[in-house]
Amino acid sequence: MTGRSYFWPILSLAALVAIWQAAALIAASPTLPGPAETFEAMREEIAFGYFSHLFATLARVAAAFLIAMAVGGAIGVWLGMNAQADRFFGGWVILFLNLPALVTIILCYVWFGLTEAAAVTAVAVNKIPNVAATLREGAKALSTDLSEMAQVYQLSWSARMRHVVLPQLAPFFAAAARNGLALVWKIVLVVELLGRPNGVGFKIHEHFQLFNVAAILAYAIGFIIIVQLIEWIILQPWEKAANRWRR
Amino acid sequence: MTLTVNIRRKAFGAAPVLEAISFSAGLGERIAILGPSGVGKSTLLALIAGLDAAYEGSIKAPGRIAMIFQTPRLLPWRTLAQNLMIAVPEATEAKIHAALAEVGLESAADQHPEKISLGMQRRAALARALLAKPDLLLMDEPLVSLDVASAQTMRDLLVKTLDLTGATALIATHDRREALFLADRVLEIGGAPATLIRDRATNLPRGEGRDTATIETLHEEWFE
Repeated sequence: MTGRSYFWPILSLAALVAIWQAAALIAASPTLPGPAETFEAMREEIAFGYFSHLFATLARVAAAFLIAMAVGGAIGVWLGMNAQADRFFGGWVILFLNLPALVTIILCYVWFGLTEAAAVTAVAVNKIPNVAATLREGAKALSTDLSEMAQVYQLSWSARMRHVVLPQLAPFFAAAARNGLALVWKIVLVVELLGRPNGVGFKIHEHFQLFNVAAILAYAIGFIIIVQLIEWIILQPWEKAANRWRR
Repeated sequence: MTLTVNIRRKAFGAAPVLEAISFSAGLGERIAILGPSGVGKSTLLALIAGLDAAYEGSIKAPGRIAMIFQTPRLLPWRTLAQNLMIAVPEATEAKIHAALAEVGLESAADQHPEKISLGMQRRAALARALLAKPDLLLMDEPLVSLDVASAQTMRDLLVKTLDLTGATALIATHDRREALFLADRVLEIGGAPATLIRDRATNLPRGEGRDTATIETLHEEWFE
């Protein structure tokens, strides 16, 4: 990014912080702390394992995200390339898409106990139908022209996947990844709130009981920063590389 | 015979598209499939290429087939050289560049297809077919959508490619002059469903002897 392209995002962020500060001043209540109080709460929480809780949440997000992308991606591509399977299982995707996240989380905890595996499974199960639906559309849109070319020139299965199929699915993977990351971390917080002994969700629950809004915001902001860094460091460069060939 | 085609019937759903089309082609023979747009020429080539197995009849084709489609069908996310390498993985880098040089694209080897003209993309597709060293080369309207100058260049390159590979060639076209220029034999198909109407040899010499005047004379004799 050039200096000029940094200008507007920074100005926009500064405006948001200013509005937050003004609202806090007007409210003058501990239920709406300003940026300074929130930063102070963050500094205090560092002494009580702030980063270890952020890391615990991040690890759950990473595990659930990778499982959801792999399983949901495979299911979506299979449904997109197999009309018969799509006719049969398409309704299942809709059903699971509309299953409330809270229900999945509670069922996983009831069936598998308050374990790490149950927590990650619950999050992954919530995200899998979403990834499957996106990748199914990607697989349906695969170019018949290029498939025929691959057939005529007798490309091996691995060459077809690597050079013909996956590059066409890349934008759909990117869309599923971006939406997925945002959804997964929010569900992870609920999972932690309901049944884990650590993580951002657990801490938010703890501070909610104490009505410590500044600490709640401190944890929320910490994780927003992490997700934004993932977007900047991993997702955007990958997307840019995948689209380099476009005119 | 390199190629033996005996199609009794090909239908899309209940609608028959091709019926009673039988012919054979010898090694190195160049045959034009001539017919109006939409008659079923592309369908016929797809059956011969093995892209569609849903038909009644039999086709005996050689193992190594290359095809020049109506659109170039290059992988847009790979460079021209990579496109050739993916289609013919056993080809060396030197052979890939030589094939591109044959069609005048030696300096565009590292370009992506979307960044070059349609004419250049067509030539890259021709280089890919040339590199594959096919026993049978199928061409589906190879000059369609090109401007006059690009079509002229492409036509000369097609002849050069056919000379270089020595492959048996089937050229689907709606253009009578193009058929007479490129082929030794012209199969006319027409009707609905399309059937084989005529099978005629041009009896024209290859190379320099096939000039515009000769083509015009034969065109007049056959079609007017």
